[in-house]
Amino acid sequence: MSETRCIGVLALQGAFIEHVHHLQRCIDKFSDYDKAIRVTTVRTAQELWQCDGLVIPGGESTAMSLIAQRTNLYDDLYRFVHDPNKCIWGTCAGLIFISDNLMTQGNLINTLKLLHVTVKRNAFGRQAQSFIQKCDFSNFIDNCNDFPATFIRAPVIDEILDPENVEVLYRLDKPDCPQDGLIVAVKQNDNILATSFHPELAEDDLRFHDYFIREFILKR
Amino acid sequence: MCEFKVKAGLAQMLKGGVIMDVVTAEQAIIAEKAGACAVMALERIPADMRKSGQVCRMSDPKMIKDIMNAVSIPVMAKVRIGHFVEALILESLEVDYIDESEVLTPADWTQHIKKNGFQVPFVCGAKDLGEALRRINEGAAMIRTKGEAGTGDISEAVKHISKITGEIEEYKILLKDEDRLTLKAAELRVPVSLLKEKLEKEKLPVVNFAAGGVATPADAALLMQLGCEGIFVGSGIFKSANPEKLARAIVEATTHYNDASKLLEVSTDLGDLMGGICIESIKGSKLADIGV
Repeated sequence: MSETRCIGVLALQGAFIEHVHHLQRCIDKFSDYDKAIRVTTVRTAQELWQCDGLVIPGGESTAMSLIAQRTNLYDDLYRFVHDPNKCIWGTCAGLIFISDNLMTQGNLINTLKLLHVTVKRNAFGRQAQSFIQKCDFSNFIDNCNDFPATFIRAPVIDEILDPENVEVLYRLDKPDCPQDGLIVAVKQNDNILATSFHPELAEDDLRFHDYFIREFILKR
Repeated sequence: MCEFKVKAGLAQMLKGGVIMDVVTAEQAIIAEKAGACAVMALERIPADMRKSGQVCRMSDPKMIKDIMNAVSIPVMAKVRIGHFVEALILESLEVDYIDESEVLTPADWTQHIKKNGFQVPFVCGAKDLGEALRRINEGAAMIRTKGEAGTGDISEAVKHISKITGEIEEYKILLKDEDRLTLKAAELRVPVSLLKEKLEKEKLPVVNFAAGGVATPADAALLMQLGCEGIFVGSGIFKSANPEKLARAIVEATTHYNDASKLLEVSTDLGDLMGGICIESIKGSKLADIGV
């Protein structure tokens, strides 16, 4: 294992420690990764440019975007995520922050315009409508047919603006519900992943983070 | 259990952020623009409640609703300790979090709300480990230090977070002695399993924010360095000369709490800050002493 890959987790605001812990537990648990991997939090441009991939966590998308702009990190983030050699994964607020276009309540958020989709913020409603649902991700993660996906004031992908390069990974399966069929996980090209739910809140379930490491980080 | 994860999960998303007290939709918009991760909607900020000497209750739902409509970030609101009907009303309004708060006049001096039965998540104040665990056992999905709201004096918040952290250290040794652990759990009035889990993990099982007396970016960074996971700011912001600038500065200080040069930058030229009342000058009982 001569090469090392570094995964950064953006730590401006939100649930970044949960991602750090999940990624670290994957590294400790799976001995078959063919490169050494380390994980670091990212608050500054110097920390960012050491990384090969970046996870943008859940949190409040307005807070995250405003802090990035004010601390002069926005321009570096923009260049970093648009570099096709880097892997990017946005969860919840992170999905909002990397999207091209916001449908609602978006005037405070200057997104990174990376993912060619239109996102609807708080698409299910307020906290009262937050939920956990077992999801079948076995079409893109082997044997993962019961992943506990946590949706907290979650956004959804309302429209895919570039169907050639953006692949739907998962539509919500909620029969008889107005939310049935909503797009909650996508992949763009082979280096960008976005989910409207929180795999980092699935305690003791490392499958989604392992997928990100194997299919994105280790393939670059 | 599944449901509790959804409640505690929102608090996890608020971490590293600042929750600001606001009394109008205009203030809520200022807070959101400053980068607040949530707002606390209330009719009067604690500094004004302290002065009034009146009974302080849940705010008018109309005023809370106006704030919910004005911003896209989560909105919290306060109910009196033990007043489960005020909580039912706010749950029905669909606020994102309820603060069962000692800042309002308690409705029940002996019992807190049984929060496990509610869909809406609760945050509660605590000044030591036992109090934090009792609230979590009742169903609180987030804890904050009590501090001394409305004073602009940070010393009580510092005392409470240091106490909680110190007690975790101090009681860890009990993990090796079942009998003493059981006695300690009885003394703290919490289940043994909860105390044990917490001591093993070396932290509270839910998110722990700082509250009460935060008035400057340095105050926020101090509490973050002491181990708090985010900050509530009450009277400090809108009692200062330049609320917008101070609000932004506290947000940035909370992100970069370990970066002294950044803290220097955001602490500079903020104008007049909240004058405040120092703890030693308070006559009568402190708010932190309210609650069981």
